[in-house]
Amino acid sequence: MGVVVVGTGVARPTRSPLSHGARRLADAAARQCLVSAGYQPDSINMLVNVGVYRERGLGEPALAALIQQDVDANAGRIKRGEHGTFSFDVDNGACGALTGLDVVRGFLTSHAIHVGMVVGSDSAPGPLHVRALPRPESGAAILLGRDEGVVGLSAVRQRTYPEYAELLEGYWEWVDGAGRFPRRPGNRLVVLERRGFVDRAAQCAAEVTTDYLDDFGVPTESVDLLVATPGQTFADELADLLGIGRERTLHVGEQLGAMHTAQPIAAIDQARRTGRWAAARTILLVAAGSGITVTTALYRH
Amino acid sequence: MTTIEGVAIATEHWLTTEPDLAGAHPARLESIGVRLPARRLSTDELMASTAHDTHIDLERLTGIHERRIVADGEDSLSLAVGAARDCLNRSRHRAGDLDMVINASISKYAGGYRQRLEPPLSLLVKQAIGAVDAVSFDISNACAGMLTGVFLLNDYIRRGEIERGMVVSGEAISQLGRNAARQVRSIMSRQLASLTLGDAGAAVIVERDGTGSSGITTAAFTTLAKHSRLCLAYPSRVGPGATMYTRARTIHKVAIDNVPTLLREALDRAGLDLADIDYFIPHQTSSRAIRTGTRALQDIFRQLPGEVVDNVELFGNTSSTTHFVALHRLLQEGRMHAGDRVLLLALASGLEIGVVVFTIDDQMEKSWVS
Repeated sequence: MGVVVVGTGVARPTRSPLSHGARRLADAAARQCLVSAGYQPDSINMLVNVGVYRERGLGEPALAALIQQDVDANAGRIKRGEHGTFSFDVDNGACGALTGLDVVRGFLTSHAIHVGMVVGSDSAPGPLHVRALPRPESGAAILLGRDEGVVGLSAVRQRTYPEYAELLEGYWEWVDGAGRFPRRPGNRLVVLERRGFVDRAAQCAAEVTTDYLDDFGVPTESVDLLVATPGQTFADELADLLGIGRERTLHVGEQLGAMHTAQPIAAIDQARRTGRWAAARTILLVAAGSGITVTTALYRH
Repeated sequence: MTTIEGVAIATEHWLTTEPDLAGAHPARLESIGVRLPARRLSTDELMASTAHDTHIDLERLTGIHERRIVADGEDSLSLAVGAARDCLNRSRHRAGDLDMVINASISKYAGGYRQRLEPPLSLLVKQAIGAVDAVSFDISNACAGMLTGVFLLNDYIRRGEIERGMVVSGEAISQLGRNAARQVRSIMSRQLASLTLGDAGAAVIVERDGTGSSGITTAAFTTLAKHSRLCLAYPSRVGPGATMYTRARTIHKVAIDNVPTLLREALDRAGLDLADIDYFIPHQTSSRAIRTGTRALQDIFRQLPGEVVDNVELFGNTSSTTHFVALHRLLQEGRMHAGDRVLLLALASGLEIGVVVFTIDDQMEKSWVS
């Protein structure tokens, strides 16, 4: 029995103001994902949001609960003899998607659920927010289920390198308004990516991934597809460090490569859409983010 | 019914919970730790600080006499680390033995009122306590955060993927009360619930049960998302920290309407009656809510647990840590003993409803004997 991907969806804002914001993008991605899988919303037993930058900095409830209501996944009355939906958020920066996949994989493996969804989305900051790192608003969703005949998703390996924690940080902080320009006091969002993050993240990821593949007895030559995020530069550097040819590495490109928590899921979506996911027997998933945290997993058809 | 590896399993239940699969490793709560700030703020003092003449007798309304509040230099991180260290001091294990560290607080303040989004606070906690090799991440599930963490660890342990992990939370949320005090005008204010909040840190180690004790009997959760917008919190516009808007009466009504059904389902799956529970610890919001909730249970179940725990008088609502703050007090006062069966009821914005039933064992009782 393996845990398999049964659907994916990606949402980007359109010209409509109603298409903006982390929640709306998550909703759109989740709906698209359900359509691609041919599943009804009520089939989702577990919904995990891994987006970090929620609009207006929503602290509670979990954004996943709002998404559950919006897509109408068992959102109404308790129905006797049916399975409800449990929703919560997992926060692990740009590695949250793989962490969320691992959590859902676990509940699928233990048969506590039949179908689980992981959604990642991030808002753009408002005009008063300080943000040194421009990222496009985006949302992506992935639906997982079980398949008796497939190995599917392996357990996710994680390692952290806290000595590099300052290379990428995001936080809300209170600003009294002091400064050169008169500003109203208020909580402001700060996201800082310092020089050297991508290179260091690639080095950390190479170390973790090499150990992981060794533990599984999987030589790099047998990796048919490397799906590595965040960004094209990271993916290329990691591929070079691992000795995996660029032709076996998913080209995430500029637009997808600028996404944040949604990026690992959007990359899987792209691989599925281009046929590379189905064509590969062994897929290596790698995500690196703040911490520096590295998560990696294998997916085998 | 559905069949899993040749075994018929009942799946027609609303709550998400673990099926009784052969080979699953039972889990137990091994150790509990708490960190309470030394500073206290009485309800009288808080209400005297309101900007408007509210005419609210908050202590009579909620039963909260005082709450602990952080002083300069204390924040979510220091409370979490303090609780984690207390938990380890009462444990047989060292930090290096932890396979997983999950931070479950709503407030993630580190370095004053700087709300950390990334890296997650769990990274800072595990480094501070020395659990450097543990897998770490944060979860966010409002006041159900810590019990959601227990639910996740229970799954990882039952499948044999990890041996033990820690759920930790440092809630520095009294600032919401100070922000609300500037804006609350009457008892109808949606910020009224913020005045009930207090600060606390709590931690729990969950591990594979090799002792043969009954450990975690059941852990079950669901989200009634139709009510997801009844309590919303955002970074504040009037002061450091956050502002929370709550429709407390509606939440209470939804809880009264739905908890008995879900509780019965969780107890049925565990093969228990409500009267089999020695200590029933609901989410701690106010004495009045706990009393009316208890009456509703009595009306529907025609029985009650041994004791419904009301711990708000001295601590207020400490959000995700409330169950463990109440547990620590019962253990510290020597009221809880090995063999006592405990039911923790999560009720949180979302609307999240969760049930964890476990049994106190010898080690946990002794770890709190001074």
